[in-house]
Amino acid sequence: MVSILNKLQIFFFSKRVKGNQTKYDFNKHFLPIKLEFYDNKKNQKIELLKLKKEEKLLPYEIEAGIMTEYSEEVLNYHLKKIENKYYWKERALKQSLKRKNINDLDKLNQLKLKKNECLNKVTAKYKKEPNEESNKIYQLKKEEIDLYYDNKISLCETKYNIKTENVKKKIELKISKYKNRIDKLQTKLDKLGIKSNRHIIDDDIILKLDKLSMHFGGLKAVDELSFDVKKGEIFGLIGPNGAGKTTVFNCITRFYKPTNGDMYFRNNLNEIVYLNNIKVHNIIKEGIARTFQNVELIWELNVIENLLVAAHTNYRSGFFGHLLNSRLLRQEEVVMRKKAEKILKDLDLDAYAYAYPYGLPYGVLKKIELARTLMINPKLIILDEPAAGLNDAETEGLSKTIKKIQSEYDATIFLVEHDMGLVMNICDTVCAISFGKKLAIGSPKEIQNSKIVREAYLGGE
Amino acid sequence: MTYQVEKKNKRKQKFESLIHHPYFGFIIIVFLMFFVQLIRLLGVDVSVSILRAFGSTMIFTIVALGFSILLGYGGLASLGTAGFVGLGAYALVYFTNTFPISIFLTVLIIIIGAIILGTVVGFISLRIEGMYLAIITLGLSEILNEVFKRATNITGGTTGVNIGGVILFKDVISINHNVVFIIISIILFIIMVLTLNIMKSPTGRALLAMRNSSSAAQAMGVSIFKYRLLAFIVTTVYAMLAGVLYMTYWSFTIPSTWSLGFSLNILVAVVVGGSQSIYGIILGTFMIFGLDLSVFKQIDFFVANPGITIVMNGILIIVVVMFYPGGLIKLVNAFGIKIKKIFLNWIKKWKEFKYGVDS
Repeated sequence: MVSILNKLQIFFFSKRVKGNQTKYDFNKHFLPIKLEFYDNKKNQKIELLKLKKEEKLLPYEIEAGIMTEYSEEVLNYHLKKIENKYYWKERALKQSLKRKNINDLDKLNQLKLKKNECLNKVTAKYKKEPNEESNKIYQLKKEEIDLYYDNKISLCETKYNIKTENVKKKIELKISKYKNRIDKLQTKLDKLGIKSNRHIIDDDIILKLDKLSMHFGGLKAVDELSFDVKKGEIFGLIGPNGAGKTTVFNCITRFYKPTNGDMYFRNNLNEIVYLNNIKVHNIIKEGIARTFQNVELIWELNVIENLLVAAHTNYRSGFFGHLLNSRLLRQEEVVMRKKAEKILKDLDLDAYAYAYPYGLPYGVLKKIELARTLMINPKLIILDEPAAGLNDAETEGLSKTIKKIQSEYDATIFLVEHDMGLVMNICDTVCAISFGKKLAIGSPKEIQNSKIVREAYLGGE
Repeated sequence: MTYQVEKKNKRKQKFESLIHHPYFGFIIIVFLMFFVQLIRLLGVDVSVSILRAFGSTMIFTIVALGFSILLGYGGLASLGTAGFVGLGAYALVYFTNTFPISIFLTVLIIIIGAIILGTVVGFISLRIEGMYLAIITLGLSEILNEVFKRATNITGGTTGVNIGGVILFKDVISINHNVVFIIISIILFIIMVLTLNIMKSPTGRALLAMRNSSSAAQAMGVSIFKYRLLAFIVTTVYAMLAGVLYMTYWSFTIPSTWSLGFSLNILVAVVVGGSQSIYGIILGTFMIFGLDLSVFKQIDFFVANPGITIVMNGILIIVVVMFYPGGLIKLVNAFGIKIKKIFLNWIKKWKEFKYGVDS
């Protein structure tokens, strides 16, 4: 039994080796074409992926860098996948070529060899003793051989050529298809790049209120108020109780619809947006994030998940993706969690990352709300009385963090505050209002020295 | 040796990751249900009332899961569940008796109808909140109940209606209860997985944000309009699907089943179990719909005095709501932690006994 098995093994093995030797020539010609094709395909797929990823990003997101980190991670993941796939494809091709019976070139070579052999035989037979007769016979035989083999060789060659041409055509077709797709994507990208500037405000101004007024029945809560907020500054809005500060805030964040007046905002993309036309839940997409007077956290979720809620508009997966826990959602979740952890670390909150907000000290809760606004890389952060209910040490810490946010996240901060110490410490410009009307605007020192403001706070005469 | 140790560690890790997988508990529940059927096949006598109890808890957990998304996550109180479940049940009756279509198609049609109904109720909920929403949905459910009573040619009126079987492809096939039981357990598994996905996803978080404070949610980019509609659509789809399953399992209904009592039972099940935990909801529904049949009916004392079981159930509910406002699941969790502590203590003591104490 063993001997038979050995013999069988040797038989198959020898046959395979022989076959490989003969097929090697064809592979020499065929492999580089196919490999080139694979290379092209791989590169184009990678380009396509990059373009697609960019297309999926909204332009302001690219500029703000909200999703670029995420998209890079996803891209790398997909690139690795594609490279891996094509590596194995190439290997499989090489193996299959070794195994497959592609006989055309072999046949051609064999035919040529046979022809030569025949010619040699004939010459050996008839050219040894050259006669007239033998010469004649020799020529006849040679013609016969030529006719016979040339036909066969030409047939073989045409077959071979057709095959290779077909392969080349297929490859070219596919490449052209991919090129077309890439062109289409490019046109789409070009279209997205066009920016519309309908309203014009100065370059260094981020928020402009123009004669804003808000009436509740007969009460004029805000009366023809207009001011500008400059880029990158800390702007404070002060006033006695009932002056209409919170109403202004609610008008900017679209909770109230102002009776008159216009509001313009320079968004993440450097476009100028007419705020009066935007819905409440879309205001965050333009890059305005806000906090509330009394902390509005979600008590059933831990701190990190609270931050993730704020990133709600950055998720690209839809409801069905959420229902089936799709791969896109899982990737997004990982990236967003990383971002949230980074923000918490920046604000020294990483000890509370997995704690539930219920029962945490009030200062920490306020800080968490601040951290939540940073999840969307905002241009403008609106703080509604950030220091209310905090003690002195906490207020100092808060002013430090606000400064840090202004410098590191390069955001403009717009705050309402009763704590004059905080306002005078950190604000670059202060606007004082009373009964919905602007009293004075300027640097903190100017406000401190102005008579009108003093009168409004302490009563005239 | 090291290789073997590595292999062992790997196996341990695999096992641990399997145990901590979020779907592991669901799989165990489904396997328990399979196990009950398998025991019956092997010849062990399981009383019918226990099977009925399990079946009803499985069907009504589907309703309760939908309701928990509405109440526990969306913060919207609705008392219209009974009407929706009844509508699903009678829709199946109507389709099997008048339009002989395959059940897969009918379920599809019913789901589409549920989506439409959910959007309508969701639109109502945009204007009204809190108690008033509960009252309006209750009114809707009562209207549906009245329709069930009056439309005698479809629903059979107050005497009830029977369906002989289910149309799989062409002909009416009488249904084997055990097969339906297994199918229900599989559907329950799928629905539990889907609800868990919703709860843990950004959608669930957005719903929670909406429940806590609608203005804060809007400031964070959550569209109230979209998520209210979504919550109502999910609940109605679940409820009507549960109605279809109820009809296939029992093959008989009367309109009085789908009255206010049923809605309140579901509400109590969700609140008592723990409105944001799937296991809690299963426990709650078992307590309301299954405990009586499966436990009390097996004891002779309670069979002799059937009034006491209702009182016992009421007392249990009161105790749970009073002392564990988070739901039954909190009690179970606390108990589990205690047992774990005791177990760990034992292990520690044994190790000290074997290896001695560190000096």
